[in-house]
Amino acid sequence: MIYFFSTILPQFLDNMQRVIGPLTYTSLNFFLFVAVTALVYFLFPAKKFRWVILLVANIFFYMVCGWRFGLFILFTTLSAYLIGLWLEHRAKASKKLLKEKKAEWSREEKKKYKEKTKVQMRLIMTLALVLNFGILAFLKYYGFFSGSLNDLLGAFKIGFSLPTLKLLMPLGISFYTFQTMGYVVDVYREKTPAQRNPLKLLLFVSFFPQIIQGPISVYDQLAGQLFEGHSFDFTRFKHGCELILWGFFKKLVIADKAVIAITTVTSDYGAYNGTTLTFTVLLYALQLYTDFSGGIDISRGVAQIFGIDMIENFRRPYFSKSINEYWRRWHISLGAWMKNYVFYPIAMSNQFLTVSKNIKQSRFGKTAAGAHIAKVLPTSVASLIVFLLVGIWHGASWKYVAFGVWNGGIIMLSILMQPLFDAAADKLHVNRKSIPFQLFRVFRTFIVVLVGYVFDVAPTFSESMRTFWLFFTGQNFQEGMQQIGSLGLTSNDFNVIGLTTAFLLLVSLFQEKHEKEYGENVRQFLDKKPFMLRWAVVFVGVLAVVVLGVYGSGYNAADFVYMQF
Amino acid sequence: MEELMQILEELRPDVDFENETSLIDGGVLDSFDVVALVGELNDAFDIEIKPNHLIPANFNSAKAIMALVEELQDE
Repeated sequence: MIYFFSTILPQFLDNMQRVIGPLTYTSLNFFLFVAVTALVYFLFPAKKFRWVILLVANIFFYMVCGWRFGLFILFTTLSAYLIGLWLEHRAKASKKLLKEKKAEWSREEKKKYKEKTKVQMRLIMTLALVLNFGILAFLKYYGFFSGSLNDLLGAFKIGFSLPTLKLLMPLGISFYTFQTMGYVVDVYREKTPAQRNPLKLLLFVSFFPQIIQGPISVYDQLAGQLFEGHSFDFTRFKHGCELILWGFFKKLVIADKAVIAITTVTSDYGAYNGTTLTFTVLLYALQLYTDFSGGIDISRGVAQIFGIDMIENFRRPYFSKSINEYWRRWHISLGAWMKNYVFYPIAMSNQFLTVSKNIKQSRFGKTAAGAHIAKVLPTSVASLIVFLLVGIWHGASWKYVAFGVWNGGIIMLSILMQPLFDAAADKLHVNRKSIPFQLFRVFRTFIVVLVGYVFDVAPTFSESMRTFWLFFTGQNFQEGMQQIGSLGLTSNDFNVIGLTTAFLLLVSLFQEKHEKEYGENVRQFLDKKPFMLRWAVVFVGVLAVVVLGVYGSGYNAADFVYMQF
Repeated sequence: MEELMQILEELRPDVDFENETSLIDGGVLDSFDVVALVGELNDAFDIEIKPNHLIPANFNSAKAIMALVEELQDE
């Protein structure tokens, strides 16, 4: 028995992992896996238990992607399960007792008991958060902290150093940790009932289309759909496949081509001039969007085949008119998570509201500027904290701290200085509703976003500072064109990227307009077109992906950027 | 209700709070407005609005906000 668990089973799982390999979204095996799962799911006679098929598929998916990490996800599920149940039990017991003692206890006594319950519940919820985010933080940041600390100790010639550990991240740990902790807080806030079946909770935590790179789903929105047995629906199937195709187009035709040039630059960052670096940052904006949103399209498309609607994660973010709006349209699920579980609790905390109240009551608060600052101070400081967290979430490095400060700082300043901007616009007689002004706002926002991307692209914080310097001092068009020509892409590749990006832009403009006017997406729009046209579109799409897509040896498409988070 | 209307109008003079019924779902109020509003409501009505009260249904109209305030006052 021991021999089985210590030797035979691990060997078997290792072999399985080797043969089937990680089921990357762009691999053939992934599609065989989805097809088999869908077939079994829809043929399974007992609809009530179809969720079990999904769960088995998740476990299989996770096993072949790295079964040794399974314990992490099991721990997160189990801790959320037990703590969720306890929180619910405690809240119910407290309400019951309060009801029984309604006549007996004074108002004060009731208040005291309520407070006691709340403190207990908050403590237990915090335990879940500390344990799970603790694991995530340890795996993610140990290298950063031990490295920085060792440097510091070395500088003071202290003969002690933390051991260097080579830590691998379990697949999707960021995404499932965020999602599961969202569930725990929702149970704590009594927004959602605790899940009584641990296997159902495991299904929610490990749902395979989302585990690699999100979207970070909300329990209330997703769980019910997962547990409900769906019947096969041709329209959903078709829409799902179309979305997957669109994702492939973005990922394989645009992102995976662009990434070749970007990697060439980042692997020898010091060798390029300002023109090339400007071009690289622009290309990065394209690659990051097409890679991440393309991956999400594939995830959502796969889920849709099973009849499950996952939340949107992107709404054409580069059309945003302010950085604030950009963060509502880019990585929407992370933004929503941060808003619900970090921003509101901080901004609405007693401390923050008290500070704001004190300013308001002070003499300064009676002035127009003071009143405005009192009103927006909690939100602007809370925003800055949120963006620091988002920055650090992207990686343990000072450049990501700078990324957070940049985004959060701009938002903070724009809130604090809003009245000044309004006054300036009035004084200059700017018509803020005019189309040129709106375009200017889009352009301005895009520049702010690009500045943020520099921290992403540059290997270190000091390199990012040098990059800004080079933007102004190191521009040389002729030399730049030569450098760009030797980034590993042919001029033909650049033509393909240019044309497909122009197409992407046109479709995005159409989506923007059509959604606003008719409230339907492109797939719904296509449904109403003649049969021949619809199939022609799909055919051209498949052809584009097959002919123009990037395929290394044996379909080894590049990993998704956001997999590593 | 009058006090509430006054707070709302001071917060966002450009919004028709009498008739608007999807303040949150329709994106009329953003998260910054909501936090400012919560601060005002807590002070004016001596209540404590917590993040768990922040569901769209509680803030979609002036009537809904009033209902939340009354509920919290009863506690």
